[in-house]
Amino acid sequence: MTEIDVRQKVLATNAAAAESLRSGFRLTGTLVVNLISSPGSGKTTFLEATARALRDRLRLGALDGDIATERDADRLRRQGIPARQILTGGACHLDARQIEKALAEENGRLSTLDLLLIENVGNLICPTSYDLGEDFKVALLSVTEGDDKPFKYPAIFARAAVTVVTKADLLEHVEFDLGAVRDQVAALNPSGAFLVTSSRTGAGMDAWYALLENALAEKRGAPALASR
Amino acid sequence: MHETGLAADAYRIARDAADARGGGAIESVTLVVGELSAVEPELLGFAWEAVVSGTPDARARLVVEWRRATQRCAACGEIAERAPGSWLRLCPICGDALAVTGGDELDVRSVAFEGGDA
Repeated sequence: MTEIDVRQKVLATNAAAAESLRSGFRLTGTLVVNLISSPGSGKTTFLEATARALRDRLRLGALDGDIATERDADRLRRQGIPARQILTGGACHLDARQIEKALAEENGRLSTLDLLLIENVGNLICPTSYDLGEDFKVALLSVTEGDDKPFKYPAIFARAAVTVVTKADLLEHVEFDLGAVRDQVAALNPSGAFLVTSSRTGAGMDAWYALLENALAEKRGAPALASR
Repeated sequence: MHETGLAADAYRIARDAADARGGGAIESVTLVVGELSAVEPELLGFAWEAVVSGTPDARARLVVEWRRATQRCAACGEIAERAPGSWLRLCPICGDALAVTGGDELDVRSVAFEGGDA
């Protein structure tokens, strides 16, 4: 019997693919965000609003991860941006190799953009483990899900650079302590951004668009808009 | 249930490492799993059984070394384990924000196998 030290990361293959994607996106100056949330938090509606607001200023595209159906990509295409659905066939998350494959199949249509929006499979746990070569992760939490989610699913809220509360127009109808959620996120992730939005009314969305445009400017080495 | 994919990756890493040393059937694989890795050890155990069944390593055991999350205060250097059930990230000594310094691990640590040229 032989016992050997291996000391290799289980996710090393994914990490290598993610780094390769990241170098490619650095060359094209594409800002890539990876949106993670539970099902029904309003990710697609949030991205529809984002597409409408930014499509005339930026070259946008989207990748949508789902177990089945083209529904989300169809919705984003109707907003006038290129979108591709990645069907995971049962898997609960996207991985970097699926992103590589989808980009290759689009022949560059989705890799030479200003902004690539990746809508992960609706799940607060599994997508957290997989680096997709993104610039940062965004966690979405709708006010109908309950105000205890950050502490119940700490990994994603600790790793997301931005937490977005969605469906804030419903706040008056649900018991959702916004202050408590803000405190939990601040405790998990003191340097993260915290936005309160409604895709339906547009409330808070300008802060999201500014954040994206600033991050893009920063990635390209230009002075951030916020400092003008 | 991303544990299935992770178990398959861990098995492939272990099998490749054993092959590289001219090894036979794997007896055990030790995996370091951090509390913040978003992995459920029990699910990982089920997934492991499924992954190795039908392979020459069907009897290989998965040993999980669990790592608690640890935090460090940049201001006063205090290193503390996260209090059980609590995610408050404030230093008990000086009140500054604590940074996570451990608990993200998801690594194949070692492989034990029959034979081998070591």
